[in-house]
Amino acid sequence: MAVYKRNYTAYTGTVTPVWTRVLVLARYAFEEAWSSKITVGLFIFCLLPCILSLLVIYIVDNPVARALIGGRGPETLAIDARFFLKVLATQSWLALVLASWIAPRMITLDLADNALPILLSHPISRFGYVFGKFIALFGSLSLVTWLPCLLLFVFQGYSSSQPWAMSNLQIAFGLLAGSVIWIAFLSLLGLALSSWVKWRVMATGVIFAAVFVPAGIGAIVSAVLRTKWGLLLNVPVMMSNLWQRLLGAPAPFDERFSVPTLAIAVMLSLAVLVCAGMLNKRIRAREVVRG
Amino acid sequence: MGVIDLDGVEVRLANRTVLDNLTGELRGQAIGLLGPNGAGKSTLINTLLGFHLPSKGKASVFGLDAHKDRAQIRGSIGFMPENDSFIGNMSGVRFVRYMAELSGLPSRIALERAHEALFYVGLGEVRYRKVNTYSLGMKQLVKLAQALAHGPKLLILDEPTNGLDPVARQRMIQLIKDIRQEGSIRLLISSHLLRDIDETCDEVLILKNGRIASLCNIEEERRSNRSFIELETVGATERFSVSIRGLGCECAIFPGGRIKLVIPDNIEARDLYVIAADQGVQIRRMNQRRDSLEDIFLRAMDNEQGRTANGSL
Repeated sequence: MAVYKRNYTAYTGTVTPVWTRVLVLARYAFEEAWSSKITVGLFIFCLLPCILSLLVIYIVDNPVARALIGGRGPETLAIDARFFLKVLATQSWLALVLASWIAPRMITLDLADNALPILLSHPISRFGYVFGKFIALFGSLSLVTWLPCLLLFVFQGYSSSQPWAMSNLQIAFGLLAGSVIWIAFLSLLGLALSSWVKWRVMATGVIFAAVFVPAGIGAIVSAVLRTKWGLLLNVPVMMSNLWQRLLGAPAPFDERFSVPTLAIAVMLSLAVLVCAGMLNKRIRAREVVRG
Repeated sequence: MGVIDLDGVEVRLANRTVLDNLTGELRGQAIGLLGPNGAGKSTLINTLLGFHLPSKGKASVFGLDAHKDRAQIRGSIGFMPENDSFIGNMSGVRFVRYMAELSGLPSRIALERAHEALFYVGLGEVRYRKVNTYSLGMKQLVKLAQALAHGPKLLILDEPTNGLDPVARQRMIQLIKDIRQEGSIRLLISSHLLRDIDETCDEVLILKNGRIASLCNIEEERRSNRSFIELETVGATERFSVSIRGLGCECAIFPGGRIKLVIPDNIEARDLYVIAADQGVQIRRMNQRRDSLEDIFLRAMDNEQGRTANGSL
């Protein structure tokens, strides 16, 4: 099928292994997401708190820099689990902003142009399709969550005058586990909601709403029934509890806002199941006959 | 082993039987899938692609089970869906490359073949434009290019000339003929346009109400059907008809000197003129025709209606 000959010839070369097709999907989804200047702008914005945190760590661990800002010591600017909890929480909520922008770009474009019949007529399953998009979104969110958080941890371990890193390994584990749980949940939620909303801007709003609206409903439930179990609909509170326990930091809330870890795990699992159900319903090679 | 084997295939969707006991072996180089709207053509294609699981029976493509071995089958199939189906935000070449990579071509080769496929279908000059800026004809062609780029063994075209103007349609038909002539690809072309199938296919499967109304080799069918001649004559029509019966023709006489003939292969129109001249009969008009696909289709529809009527009795 040479261009200059303009005739058809069959392809007789080797083909790639079937499992790598998921990576093809992930690569194209990643490229699509990052082809937007807004994505790059959001990414830079998401890294600003990390740069600030880096500066704080530098100041705390550097006596000369501390002297320059008035000699305030580690007592006021301690680099500990509480500090990293704040960093993780900040990065995680910024990841929500990034996810709400990127996730709709990954699926709604395919749905808007009815691309699924063509995509799924290739040797890729529906699970493979969703998994490929998931990898791309998870990878993008990793760039603003656990990767910079762990780099900050490594930098603190390197610049601290005390042998700090080995005695605070739980912080590193907490940063990794807390970020991975959150961005995996966000990725699945973003993809599921985007698959149901064809209009990208609307999809962005719906992702935000899905995180914050249940919190309001949960507060009403708690107030009416005089219980704290309404907090199980409050994603910010649930995640704060989880992050705090994973990092081993002091509780940021009083006992009224504490939710058992098992209940959080059950709620997150239920949310994941609902998302999987939504994707299963929507991601099909069904032709949409218009008109 | 045929290209497609159907063994009592039944597909039910939303509690409705869409395909009902389809049995047959399709072996043609280019197979036409004909039928009125709602006959089950697209459902059969989706079943062959593994999108629908037959509730009864089995469908095979190149001997592979259409559901169990769907990944393997999809790797050797190029599919051009009926409706708009593309990623509009991508350039033509990027879209075709993406599809080729999904079919298993290494990235660099996929890019090469994407360029080649787009030139082949005539979109070489617009390959860097976004697909959503293409005209309807171009969108059909880019769908064909993505179906071809990875070098499939079977090309499934669902209504390939849908919405095309006459020039674009002719171009599409010519491309299909070229692909067929090249010989390495089998074609399954679904259409409700008899002319498209007539021009491109050598075998036809006619569906009606989810059942096979006819499965035949078009060429053989044409050969087995004899020539019909309609005559308008003036003169001794009765005597003329007796003479031509003597040649082995079947004929029927109608008022006004009209005669309808079915002539054997060894008899030509010239022989009729000779007899007419001998007997002083004037042949004012002669209309000769062979069975067209339209006749085959209409006969299949009639048979199916008859079968349904008998079945309901």
